[in-house]
Amino acid sequence: MLQRTLTTCVRETKPPKGSGKKKLAVAAESDPSTPPVPTLAEQLSYLHYARPFKNPYYTKNVNRRAKNLKAVLTQERERERVERERRRQEREERMEVDGATEDDVPEEDLPTYSSIEAPPSVLPQRKYCDVTGLEGPYTDPATGLRYHDKSIYELIKSLSTSAAKDYLSARGVNPIVK
Amino acid sequence: MSENVELIRIPNQPIPTVRHIDPYDSFRGKETPLVIDNGSTNIRFGFATSANPASSTNVVAKFKERKQNKPLLLFGDAVDVESGARTQARTPWEGDVQLNFDALENALDYAFIHLGIDTPSIEHPVLMTERLASPLHSRSLTSELLFELYSVPSLTYCVDAVMSFYHNHLPTPPVPFTSDGIVVSFNTASTSVIPILHGKGLMSHAKRIPWGATQANDYLLKLIQLKYPTFPTRVMPQQTNWVLQNHCEFSADYPSLLRTLKDPAQLRLYEKVIQFPFSAPTTEEKTEEELARITERRREQGRKLQELAAKAREEKLQQKESDLQYLTALRERREEESKKEWTILLREEGFDNDAALDSTIKKLETDVKKSRKKDTDGDEMQEDVPTYPLLDVPDEELDEDGIKEKKKQRLLKAGYDARERTRKEKEREREEREAGERREEEERERDLESWAGKLRKEHEGIMTKIKERGRRRAALSDRKSAAAQARMKNIANLAADERVPKRKRKTGGGMFALADLFGADDADWAIYRKINTAAESSDEEEDLMNLQTVEAKLLAHDPTFTIEHTHASLSSQRSALMSAFRPQYEDGDFQGESILTFVMLGKARIHLSVERWRVCEAWFSPTMAGVDSAGLGEVLQNILGRFSDAEKARLVKNVFVTGGPSKLPGLIPRLQASLRPILPPEMPLAIVRAADPLNDAWRGMADFAKTDEFPKYGVTKAEYEEWGGERIKRWWGGNWNSSVSI
Repeated sequence: MLQRTLTTCVRETKPPKGSGKKKLAVAAESDPSTPPVPTLAEQLSYLHYARPFKNPYYTKNVNRRAKNLKAVLTQERERERVERERRRQEREERMEVDGATEDDVPEEDLPTYSSIEAPPSVLPQRKYCDVTGLEGPYTDPATGLRYHDKSIYELIKSLSTSAAKDYLSARGVNPIVK
Repeated sequence: MSENVELIRIPNQPIPTVRHIDPYDSFRGKETPLVIDNGSTNIRFGFATSANPASSTNVVAKFKERKQNKPLLLFGDAVDVESGARTQARTPWEGDVQLNFDALENALDYAFIHLGIDTPSIEHPVLMTERLASPLHSRSLTSELLFELYSVPSLTYCVDAVMSFYHNHLPTPPVPFTSDGIVVSFNTASTSVIPILHGKGLMSHAKRIPWGATQANDYLLKLIQLKYPTFPTRVMPQQTNWVLQNHCEFSADYPSLLRTLKDPAQLRLYEKVIQFPFSAPTTEEKTEEELARITERRREQGRKLQELAAKAREEKLQQKESDLQYLTALRERREEESKKEWTILLREEGFDNDAALDSTIKKLETDVKKSRKKDTDGDEMQEDVPTYPLLDVPDEELDEDGIKEKKKQRLLKAGYDARERTRKEKEREREEREAGERREEEERERDLESWAGKLRKEHEGIMTKIKERGRRRAALSDRKSAAAQARMKNIANLAADERVPKRKRKTGGGMFALADLFGADDADWAIYRKINTAAESSDEEEDLMNLQTVEAKLLAHDPTFTIEHTHASLSSQRSALMSAFRPQYEDGDFQGESILTFVMLGKARIHLSVERWRVCEAWFSPTMAGVDSAGLGEVLQNILGRFSDAEKARLVKNVFVTGGPSKLPGLIPRLQASLRPILPPEMPLAIVRAADPLNDAWRGMADFAKTDEFPKYGVTKAEYEEWGGERIKRWWGGNWNSSVSI
């Protein structure tokens, strides 16, 4: 019922050319060969809804192909570095000219995505057992896994190398593959 | 034991319903601001005057339905309906950065469609969120999308955490917003800390930790996979997400919690058991009658085969008998015929001479006799003692053939004698063994204790030998141990050329003195056993067999020796800690109709004990999960350190947590515990959680959009066209990078 009111709405305001797509209900009525009961997925799909608010003259910028995260971040960093250089240049010039430093926007005031990231931790890290998660004061010299007590050590001795590597990668230690 | 434990089952996701489109008429032409909280997990949108936002998961799937080849576009929860859609799901966010703008376009389409907008362009000013210090690339593309594709009149960006703070500290107008506090915002892929002084968010002092709900989810999934490498079903990230949201919590004092959990009993108390659905194995259990029928059928088949074999044998026997008769008749004819005709006759039959005929006849006779005997009685044939008459005759009396015959007979006799001897020895051994057993039995019946004690000592001796061997093997694998070095010394000695045994120097002389007489003494070969590490296996097997016999005897007769004392159970004993940490379900644990089903049920269970807190602890120390970053406590400390004491006091009086993961229990006590020690004791510290951590950002934005200040901070279309998509105006709730103060 609601859909029908919307169809009438669309017809009244005369959608601009190119953007009016056929509604699903209209399609069903006009084409008797489509199955009478659309599946849930079809009901939920909004591909066929009218989108009058879209600008039909907007050409898709090909550059918009999703760049991956690394590319975006490196680009940011480059820009920030260039910006920083430029500011320093400006400041030096201004110092030479005026002799007195203006109260310019301080350099560190510009937070960027990478500058805002938290620094690595300087606190001493606690050692946890890789297998159980309890305290792990001991380390196995052969695999590098930390363990809680000797029963866990027995278990570690019986692990295969790939299983040991999995445990290590959970901690973030990725041993070099020989 | 495990029947009383409450089992947790992960609920199935609800099926999404078709969302109806809101009527637009109330908003037409009014220029109410449109508020969109564009989050990594959920997108929330609505008009500023609505009380609640419409919220949906920020996921888009565009794919072709396989059955009818129809292209479909699904959004949000609807993506779960079709399995094909799930693989094609795209989200505009990758962690914290907006990367996929097609997905964003589809998401915005969905939002606008469901708000019922049908005007040729969006006629409402838009207030949208972006990440803290969002990269300019994302911002420029979003602006481009909104201005050029949707033609919005003005666009304002804000940081969601500050807006949530605003909502919870709403000033009554006309008082301006001047609250102070620190906002800790838990986002999907990061956690940010932003200090707010005098109503202004200090973005330059803000910090972002790259650990958020997704990373915690992945960590939990990884821990589960490590703990249960042979789990029958695949654990999906959605399931661990549910577990994370409902059963994990922060612990106020992690080290002391670990110390209590060290005890296996406590571990058992604190654990939660999650039962996963499993598919029962599809073996049909045959009923009794079916089994009986099958055995009957097999027996019948066996009988038939036996009959067939008997018949075949009969036939062969008959054949042989007839042959025998024929050949004996032939032999009788020998008397009748002359020699020449006899040879021709023989040739026809296929025999070379008389002797061949005779031997074949004899063979046939014995065969027939044997088979007759087998058919009639199945007893062992008593071999009559064969006689060797020629052996007694001296050599001179015999001719060539006779001598050959005699040699043959001697060989036969020797063989027969040897067989007799071995048989007698075997009998003797058997008798001895029986006598020994009888003696043991008498001893046992007489004095159970001492007999048991003797056997037990033997048992222990064998076990120690096995353990020694195991230890020796472990020592040999280590290159630097004493055993390995001794072995190398032995090898070097063997390989050395000038090996002069002392023995020969004393006794012999001449050129034999320098000969290497290594192998003369049998004991010398023993050295090869010492250096060959693989030679232990035969000894081991012997020991194990002895052990088994001893154990069998003990088990049968000694009431105090139970299965637990056997070597097998002792060696595979798992420590109490391991069995509490990761219980294993054996076959004998359950009683019930179908033991197999119960074992399968047991194997599809996950016991979570330490992981519940370990995952949340990673927020405070991400290095334990491999992320090289400071934890929440340390970051707070760093940020507070940059302010003066007066400002610090104003900040910590109002620590505000918001965001989805802030709903995890135990967060506030934990923050208290980490902040209190670093502050002077007289400074008041108060930590507050947002009233509705998920939606408060949207509400704050809606509130802000209704004030008079809102139009000042937006970038209008004209300004966009002049400045480009990256520049925004600096205001108290927005980002500072590439911003211009007004």
